[in-house]
Amino acid sequence: MYRRWLWPGLALPGVLWLVLLFVVPFYAVLGVALGTVDPVLFQPVPIWNPLDWNVGWLNEVLGRLAPGGIWFDVGIRTIVYVVVALALCLLIGYPVAYFTARHAGRWKGVILILIILPLWISYMMRMLAWVNLLQEDGYVNQFLMFTHVLSQPRDWLGGSASTVIFALVYGYIPYLILPLFASLDRIDRSHLEAARDLGASRWSAFRSVTLPLSKTGILGGAVLITLPMFGDYYTPNIVSGAPNTSMIGNQIDLYFHGGPQPTIGAALTIVLAAFLTILMLYYLRSIHRAQREAGAVGAL
Amino acid sequence: MTTVAEPRARPQPSTLTRLRGWFRNPWGKPRFLGVFTWAYILWSIVPVLIAVQFSFNATRSRTAWDSFSTRWYWGDPVDSVLHDPSLSHALVQSFKLAAADVLIAVPIGVLLALGLARWRGRGSGTSNFIMLFPLVTPEIVMGVSLLLVFSHVFTFIETGTLAQLLGHVTFSISFVVVIVRGRLFSIGRQYEEAAADLGASPFVALTRVLLPLLTPAIVASAAVVFAISADDFVISQWLSSGGSTDTVPIQIYAATRAAPLPSVNAIATIMMVSTLLIVAVGFLTWRFFTRGERRAGTAAEDMGGAFNIT
Amino acid sequence: MTHHPKERPYSLSRRVFLLRSAGAAAALSGAGPLLAACGNTTSSNDTGDELTGPGGLPLARPDKRVTLPRWEDPIESGLEPETGGTFTVFNYPAYFYKKLLTEFGAKYGVDVQYAPFDNVNSGLQRLASGAVTPDVMEITPDTLDIGVAGELIKPLNLDYIPNLQKNIWPQLVDPFYDGESRYTVPYTCYATGIAWRTDKVTEDIAGMEQPWDIFWESQAYEGKVALLSENRETIGMALLRKGITDINTEDSALVNEAVSDLKELYGICNIKVDDLQYQTVPEGSSWLHQAWSGDMIAGYIYYLPKGTPASALAFWKAPHGKVPVQNDCFAICSTTKKPVLSHLFLNYLLDNGVAYENFVDFNGYQPPLNEIDPKTLVQKGVVPENLENSVLTNGDLGPDSLQYGTLTSQGQQLWQDGYSNFLAGGGS
Repeated sequence: MYRRWLWPGLALPGVLWLVLLFVVPFYAVLGVALGTVDPVLFQPVPIWNPLDWNVGWLNEVLGRLAPGGIWFDVGIRTIVYVVVALALCLLIGYPVAYFTARHAGRWKGVILILIILPLWISYMMRMLAWVNLLQEDGYVNQFLMFTHVLSQPRDWLGGSASTVIFALVYGYIPYLILPLFASLDRIDRSHLEAARDLGASRWSAFRSVTLPLSKTGILGGAVLITLPMFGDYYTPNIVSGAPNTSMIGNQIDLYFHGGPQPTIGAALTIVLAAFLTILMLYYLRSIHRAQREAGAVGAL
Repeated sequence: MTTVAEPRARPQPSTLTRLRGWFRNPWGKPRFLGVFTWAYILWSIVPVLIAVQFSFNATRSRTAWDSFSTRWYWGDPVDSVLHDPSLSHALVQSFKLAAADVLIAVPIGVLLALGLARWRGRGSGTSNFIMLFPLVTPEIVMGVSLLLVFSHVFTFIETGTLAQLLGHVTFSISFVVVIVRGRLFSIGRQYEEAAADLGASPFVALTRVLLPLLTPAIVASAAVVFAISADDFVISQWLSSGGSTDTVPIQIYAATRAAPLPSVNAIATIMMVSTLLIVAVGFLTWRFFTRGERRAGTAAEDMGGAFNIT
Repeated sequence: MTHHPKERPYSLSRRVFLLRSAGAAAALSGAGPLLAACGNTTSSNDTGDELTGPGGLPLARPDKRVTLPRWEDPIESGLEPETGGTFTVFNYPAYFYKKLLTEFGAKYGVDVQYAPFDNVNSGLQRLASGAVTPDVMEITPDTLDIGVAGELIKPLNLDYIPNLQKNIWPQLVDPFYDGESRYTVPYTCYATGIAWRTDKVTEDIAGMEQPWDIFWESQAYEGKVALLSENRETIGMALLRKGITDINTEDSALVNEAVSDLKELYGICNIKVDDLQYQTVPEGSSWLHQAWSGDMIAGYIYYLPKGTPASALAFWKAPHGKVPVQNDCFAICSTTKKPVLSHLFLNYLLDNGVAYENFVDFNGYQPPLNEIDPKTLVQKGVVPENLENSVLTNGDLGPDSLQYGTLTSQGQQLWQDGYSNFLAGGGS
């Protein structure tokens, strides 16, 4: 009953906006990263024609990230931080999501609101809260000394990797719990009951029914938090400030706010985006596969 | 006839035994998970509550509580949020950007959601893909790309409030689409078709039937857009021109790294309370408008379901 | 790391931008006159011993005075100042006392506006693109070349600016980067040294043979030691520590060695980088910090908590010839419609009373006034006695003084890449 051009027409403003301010900017990054620098004006000159692209900066960046290059350590360190933080987020988040979805009973609504709450609290505020607590004379040290775990205050903010990972976990875990919860919530109880009826113990029922069915949720949540985490530069700055705990995002930040080579910054951004796209594609493929396996279960 | 033996008095189990039994009860709810979940919630929220508490501290300390005072909000003539221009300007800037973001992103997003949900022709797949990408793009990549596009392509736009607003809208649109589209799918085409059967023109069906049904999703997405715009750090920072275009997250970031006064806690609290109020309004509106459609489960769950972008 | 100057009455975070531009490239987009000026210049390589920068202008060094060519004639002497309308000052945010601006406006019947820029480079970019049309702007010695090559700042007629000769240090009346002060007048100056807490750090840093070595011996202060987050300052410090005084070197061997020295610091004290020393040292969250000379003064005035004595703060800077000293300047924009008034503004900011008030009551950055000497400031209670050496004098400058000047584009890349290496951290 509607005209055929109506829907594309309605979509047009949004698509136009996104093309102009999302797709074109990506191309601008490519243009700058694969462009040249005017030697007299010290100014990056973007090259728009793909045929003329200059891969010099890109090669430079890839060389620095390769083993032996000056950024190899940062790259590895970033990956380690993200993987450890993700693992911790899953270890903490999965039980919470599981409990809320399956066993919360009449508390479900309240718990759900409390779990969603941090999403609406500014990330910076949550970091500020922990920076205050982790001061030498802050509550954490006071508590740990009171319970005799520590004999003297520990410097949590002096540049330690564990503090950075802790902050990453604290900051990003709400974004993992929600998709996990959503996918766990959708699992039909009858599947579990069938497994139990067939003689599975609680643990093996979990392993063979719940866990596989929640795989899309796990993957979705994992993607949702690891992609932004790879580009994080402010969290190490806030809780550490030491180059020894810096992440790859700090390098991008440096090259755009401190000097003559935005081309390097742009090239590094391209490499980061490409790396993350590979992760994204892996995720999409797994979803696709999981969808086919799950069949009608879990209306995705 | 046998006499029934006196039941032997059973010893009362000790508290510890009873506690262990409570934990290990195979028919009861998993206690460990429950305790774990509540512990997580405490760990998640209590630090923020402490930060809020310290915003009312009478002294400059953010680690040693003295007594209750509102000096950091309006009392202190130099450093309170009201009197410190850097803080009050940041608050104004954050609200300005968030409000403008809602006013621009929600209409565009609603139209885009409608279009993408119903569009079946060429280009719909690509448009859908373009719409989804901002949701998974790391902010630093977006910040870099926007900075470069404003320096080399759209050079008439400088860094500053306008650039920040354009950036905010760009990542907000996708959120609106996801939320509204979820609602569209659950409504289905039935109501418009009924209206058409009853003689309504397509325009009337769209505006007088569909849009009102979408109201809860529109309101909810407005609340979400406000919240994510108020929370945004990276894009605002990269497109800021310094000074008066700094937002609250930028101020908090700068202060947290140095030696913040409780006035930073205060400004963060103000922002948080405002955002929560708006989100609560959005949530309640959603519940109100969908009260007839409530299934088992809560409306919060529906909103949570909206977060499934796949 | 980005830093955003707060609009507090006192904030030093904009210094980051100052020094960033000291090592940063000029970034001007598509400026016509700039391209014309660079039409047939030699590339900015080291051709013989003539290092050239933007526009082919020679790079100035303290021992290599540069007199910039005038691209137009300055205005005539003896004209009446323009009045009415607005007068725009283009500067870092909150870097000039608003009260003094209002007084200037009242005196000459203009409405003084204050337009902030993010840093000098982006300010020059906006000026070149026509996005802003200010009357006067703040500029630094190394971005000066861009301003001149791009015809963005006007040559001065010093007849309107008698305060320059009268009040300002001789070294800066005729500075090496702008011979005869053809384009600029100096605004504030600062030096780089070490700041520390005397109650936490037991070593007598000032008494050490090479005080910069303290960073390499700071195992006891792990987690409390930091350097400035600035590529010129960090690498420069490592060079100075080894006795290399050419802090504008473009020798990659020297720079790389400096960077490996810096990388040793991870293991020694888990070194941090930031520009927050003016807050963190008084507060006690940092005990040993590379710092600028005004930082401890600012810390003493604004950030010292009650209960911490002023004697807890200390500052050391190297003697003349071994300490990097920087200053920034003011210039007149070519977009001005009030050239005479602009000259009078430059004269105004060099007035003893005005500059002093700007320093003590607002900025915390020291102007190069003859009248200001460390003893007087201590006497007036502005500066505590133990921080007397934070105040600079004319004697700190000279042809044998050190200043971070512009590098060629290769040089800038070298330093920035070296700093990137340092910032990347060690294998963990």
